Amino acid sequence: MSRMPSPLRALPALVLPAVLAVGCGVQPSGVVDAADAPTGVAPGPTLYFVDADGALRPEVRETGRLGTIPEALTLLLIGPGPGSGDVHTEIRETEVTRVEVTTTDSSIALRMPLTVDDVTPAGIDQVVCTALGVHVQGGGSTRTTVRIEFVQLTPESDVDRTCPLIG
Amino acid sequence: MTRWSWSRGLRARLLAAFALVTMAGAGAAAWSGAGSARAALVEAHEHQVTTSFADQVRAVAPTLSYPPDQATLDRLRTALGAGTVVTYGSARSAAGPGPDLVSAELRGAVREGDRLVTQRVLDAGTPWLVIGTPVVLTAPDGTRTPSGVEVYTVRDLTVVQEQVDRLARSALATAAFALPLAIVLALLAARTVLRPVRDLRDTARRLAAGDLGARTPPRGVDELAQLTVTINEMAQAVQTSMTAMHGMQSDARRFVADVSHELRTPLSTLTAVMEVLADTSADMEPDARESAELAITETRRLVRLVEDLMEVSRFDAGSAPLRLEQTDVPRAVRDSLAARGWLDEVDLVTGEDVGALVDPRRLDVVVANLVANALRHGAPPVLVEVSATDAEVTVEVTDHGPGLPPEVLPHVFDRFFKADAARVRTPGSGLGLAIARENARLHGGDLTADDVAGGGARFVLRLPRGTARRDLERS
Repeated sequence: MSRMPSPLRALPALVLPAVLAVGCGVQPSGVVDAADAPTGVAPGPTLYFVDADGALRPEVRETGRLGTIPEALTLLLIGPGPGSGDVHTEIRETEVTRVEVTTTDSSIALRMPLTVDDVTPAGIDQVVCTALGVHVQGGGSTRTTVRIEFVQLTPESDVDRTCPLIG
Repeated sequence: MTRWSWSRGLRARLLAAFALVTMAGAGAAAWSGAGSARAALVEAHEHQVTTSFADQVRAVAPTLSYPPDQATLDRLRTALGAGTVVTYGSARSAAGPGPDLVSAELRGAVREGDRLVTQRVLDAGTPWLVIGTPVVLTAPDGTRTPSGVEVYTVRDLTVVQEQVDRLARSALATAAFALPLAIVLALLAARTVLRPVRDLRDTARRLAAGDLGARTPPRGVDELAQLTVTINEMAQAVQTSMTAMHGMQSDARRFVADVSHELRTPLSTLTAVMEVLADTSADMEPDARESAELAITETRRLVRLVEDLMEVSRFDAGSAPLRLEQTDVPRAVRDSLAARGWLDEVDLVTGEDVGALVDPRRLDVVVANLVANALRHGAPPVLVEVSATDAEVTVEVTDHGPGLPPEVLPHVFDRFFKADAARVRTPGSGLGLAIARENARLHGGDLTADDVAGGGARFVLRLPRGTARRDLERS
């Protein structure tokens, strides 16, 4: 071995670190940025009503937690309540406030207990903005579209909508 | 060097070189492969752990009251599993091993930023992934603000560590698998190199043993073939000069034999004349008598010299006859000394009857020469000792003179060698010891010279006893 030509003599020096490096497994690391921070906490959902000028006005309903889209829509259907000042809702009052929500990556489908005649265009915006607001506050994308499925068959059920105040 | 260690050396070096190159190549491939695979494995596992953690937080967050109280923090911690710490301002909910592993660096990054960050740490050999994130408040329009809630958790990476270890082991095993293949290839390569080398060695060995016609047919055109051609040329040159030298030597020997033979006839005439002259020298004038005596002496020397030369020629020609007889060596030595009248001057020490199968005439020549030398050049007392072993009989002649100088010792058996250059006119021919040794060797024995401690030269004649010993014992 001692008379080995010099290039060969260097080989063990090459092989050894390679073997060691492979054998070492998981190494400690520094602090690595991995993803967006999760979100979803809030004092309450934001409900959208209409003011005297006919414009949408957001209003945080302080329930203590963000809750879900159906919960927020239920609150919206119940109406602004007595302490809300000069805002009103443009959704007709209904006995049934249960809403079914189906969320996919790019859209939210709302099965509302309403007909097209129960809402004005501003009322539709109220529903869309409230649902989208909760979705965004819970970490969803502002580019998500909302489809409202009314109880009666109507072309309006197939429209992908966005909130004028969001996104 | 022996054949085994010689071929093993070259083959071992080739093997080692092949094995090292293979291991280096396979090792490097395995290293880079295992390295990138490890990185991908770890990354994928971390991504999965991190995503699932973020999803858990996102799923629980909307159900949490805000601002949170202690119960809310506890609920979040419980939902996120063991090793989780949740803080909100000074409020804190913790359980499990998590808090110890969260570094200040990670805590700072969580506090300052609005991103989920991770850090791999090793705790007593176990790899952990520490995940830290603030939970942010998002406005309906997507604006993000810190909520003050921070979540830290640790996830065990032992699974991925085991996967990486398995990966490394299989990479090493693959590299090791290449080794036998490399050895087979190395052996094949070694054979193609070593076979011509072995042929060359055999040829060189035959040349050294005297077979000057030995050659190796060169194969191919590589360096080994060139070496073979060169060695063949060298052998050819050696063979040519050896043949020429042998020719010259035998010419010289034949010349000496012829000369000595041709001198014999005139010398015998001259000897007869000298004997007549010797008979009449008593009546001569003193001057004339002195000249006559000188002439007689020199003529005797000349006769002796020619006889010795003829004897040497016979040895050189290999025609010296050996007439072996059953001989009692001590008696033969005694007779030899007695015949020359040396018994008074020499101490003869012999054991019991020692029989040997020797040529008595040649034994007599050797003993006479050795004793004559001892008496002439050494100093008395001269000791002649005959001893024997089962295999050989030994005759030692020791004198008490100054001994043989070290520079003379290697040459005492050379022809015409005279130790003292100034004393050239000694009665000897200068061939006596050479002839004595040829006689010993003709018997299969030998004659050696050395100095005895304390002065004095010693000549030792060894002759094999042959089959005579048994015959003598039987009779």
